[in-house]
Amino acid sequence: MLNLQPYQNPTYFGYLAVALLPIMIGILYGRRFRWYETLVTLAFLVLTFGGDKWWQGLMLICYIIYEMILTFGYFNYRKKKNSGVIFVLAVILSILPLVIVKITPAIDAGKESIIGFLGISYLTFKTVGMIMEIRDGIIKELGLWETLHFLLFFPTISSGPIDRFRRFKKDYDAVPERDKYLSLLEKGVHYIFLGFLYKFLLAYFWGSYLLPIVRIHALGHGGISWWLVAYTYVYSMDLFFDFAGYSLFAVGTSYIMGYETPMNFNQPFKSKNIKDFWNRWHMTLSFWFRDYIYMRLVFFMMKNKLVKSRIAMANIGYLTLFLIMGFWHGVTWYYIVYGIFHACAIIINDAWLRFKKKHRKLIPSNKFTEYFATFLTFNVVCFSFLIFSGFLNELFFMNK
Amino acid sequence: MKKKLFLIFGPLVLAAVLLAVVLVTPFNFTKPDSEEIHEASLSQSNNIFKGTAVKKAAFEQNYVPFMGSSELSRMDAFHPASMALRYHRDYQPFLLGAAGSQSLTQFWGMQGVNNELKNKKVVFIISPQWFVKQGINPAAFSMYYSNLEAVTWLRQANNSKMDRYAAQRLLKIQKNHSDSFLKDCIEQIANGKKLSATQKTYLDLKYNQLTHEDQFFSTLSLKNRVKKIKKASKKLPAKEDNAELESLATKLGEKATTNNDFGISNKFWNRELKDKYKRLKGEQSNFDYVSSPEFGDFQLVLNQFAENNNDVLFIIPPVNEKWSNYTGLSKSMLRQFDKKVTYQLREQGFNNILDLSNDGGKPYFMQDTIHLGWHGWLTVDKSVKPFLDGKDKVNKNNNYKINNYFYSDQWQKAEGQELNNIIK
Repeated sequence: MLNLQPYQNPTYFGYLAVALLPIMIGILYGRRFRWYETLVTLAFLVLTFGGDKWWQGLMLICYIIYEMILTFGYFNYRKKKNSGVIFVLAVILSILPLVIVKITPAIDAGKESIIGFLGISYLTFKTVGMIMEIRDGIIKELGLWETLHFLLFFPTISSGPIDRFRRFKKDYDAVPERDKYLSLLEKGVHYIFLGFLYKFLLAYFWGSYLLPIVRIHALGHGGISWWLVAYTYVYSMDLFFDFAGYSLFAVGTSYIMGYETPMNFNQPFKSKNIKDFWNRWHMTLSFWFRDYIYMRLVFFMMKNKLVKSRIAMANIGYLTLFLIMGFWHGVTWYYIVYGIFHACAIIINDAWLRFKKKHRKLIPSNKFTEYFATFLTFNVVCFSFLIFSGFLNELFFMNK
Repeated sequence: MKKKLFLIFGPLVLAAVLLAVVLVTPFNFTKPDSEEIHEASLSQSNNIFKGTAVKKAAFEQNYVPFMGSSELSRMDAFHPASMALRYHRDYQPFLLGAAGSQSLTQFWGMQGVNNELKNKKVVFIISPQWFVKQGINPAAFSMYYSNLEAVTWLRQANNSKMDRYAAQRLLKIQKNHSDSFLKDCIEQIANGKKLSATQKTYLDLKYNQLTHEDQFFSTLSLKNRVKKIKKASKKLPAKEDNAELESLATKLGEKATTNNDFGISNKFWNRELKDKYKRLKGEQSNFDYVSSPEFGDFQLVLNQFAENNNDVLFIIPPVNEKWSNYTGLSKSMLRQFDKKVTYQLREQGFNNILDLSNDGGKPYFMQDTIHLGWHGWLTVDKSVKPFLDGKDKVNKNNNYKINNYFYSDQWQKAEGQELNNIIK
């Protein structure tokens, strides 16, 4: 049976265009055909998780049932009581499948867990976010269909961007005004075409054309070489254009469906420092970590007076955030080092900013220092991507 | 609203229509010029291999397909392309194949250009190393396989043993088909069924699209070896003289093989073997080239040659004897391989065979462990030149007798006494 991965090839976009046409016409005339949206969602899920990927599809269904029971169970509980223990339990249970999927390869010689499927991480982010907002009392109503639609929203199912339930529900309940929708359409089409440029031209050039050449040379040379330096930058470009291209497709498609899924990238290589970088790179992920892990942890420490110094508190927050992010990418030394590296970078960055504030007169600030800051940040980031790529592992520990 | 919608989707629709027109219309847009063809003929690029535009244009000129694999990239002074250039032969080799290409690759590579290959002469280099137990590696196969080859083949495929077998092999080796429609067609051929009218129309349109893509893109970013071959050929004496060539081959071989005892080129030794040759001692003692699905794939190639009425010079290169003694590669196994493959050839009327399998011990015959070099290429030239130079390039009448037995599992696996029983 036919199986297509999201945004994989022209055929997918062909199907997408045909499927979206009735939705577009509907919205232009002030209507949302909800049953049709459900149908399209199902069709595209079958396209991605059917055929020889049917096992993944089955696991997706099991996962969704499990998480729905958990979320609705907690929601009903929360209406009556608010115990911290139950909340923590609910969060742990909701991330349990993801934890199993991430740990299995590390303890079972690289084998994939049988309960895994494409996009499990992103679904977990969405559910955990919901459970936390239920605890906070921000989510007051929870409907079955809208929750399912939110979780299984097909344009973003495989790799985000990570939307928030309340934001999604706002679009779900409303039909955009014609003028507003026309400008969404315009942006949507523009994003998809920018995505073509990113993913099928630039990412192809960096990733499929240059990267293998550079890789072979770096491996052939072994150890530290100029080829390794080249690998660092080529890989970074590939990573950006590939992921940013994909995200543009997801956002563009959402817009055409009348959903304003948040953007994932905002010219990250222009960042002036590491903090700035995380506000521009894989934004929905870093904002998720900021809101649901960092802020909550810092708040928890403050409330319980665990740590006195604000600086120490922030630093502990960063370390926790980036360590978890590292583990989330996968349980391998390089993802974890990548996390620690970014935590250190952001801690140093904060220290430098404090130092700069104190000694404002001593430190020059002009166009040149600004360019230099961008240049430095870019290189630090690219180096972190080299760690992230796992190539060092291949080069140092598996070469020959 | 209409204006805005037109501004958003107008350019998109226009672009889509233009693209469709450009790709699907049956007109040809570009033709490679002679410089491009020359560059492509030496490039061993897989885009050229997978494509048809350049090959078609080349075979209309004086290019002769040299089908093989990695040995074709051993471009020393005596390489067929260098010899042809230096001595102004009236043919030019078109190198088809590179590392990883095997019989099945060559069979599919021919599919786009069978019409142009009709009655042509071909040089085919058989590597014993192809004939391993698992046959061709699927990853290597997919590097040289394209939908264009499959579509061209499907448009004229019928219920012959060759087409069914080719389809079955393709389905087995190439697991991921980018076009599920094509896969259905291939499955039908494999099961001996006819294609429907819809499928045929689809194939016709797809053929136009892929041909145009090939015309536009296959010559982009070719490996340019023209200079390399020019430089190599400059080393040859200006006048073709056998004795002089022989002594030059010895001299160049001697100079290039100084850092090891196996007569392997210094470059190859340093890059591939220096660090690990100690581990490789005796390592090939249980290598087996006698029982392999490759014999069935090779039969596809022979079958296609017969269909095309090609006049083919087959070359069976040796292995470096010093090296194979060191690694323990079995001599009797190699002799059996040689016997088996020559039987398959001669039984079906392919009698033009240059069997070099006993020459692996001659000095400077091999450039490294398994690839022809100096004297090796020179010996090849002694058969290639009389086969091609100044000769009619058209095959008048060859009486090939294709025997489908050679597709059978029994033949592919036959070795030892069983093989002897079949042959005698």
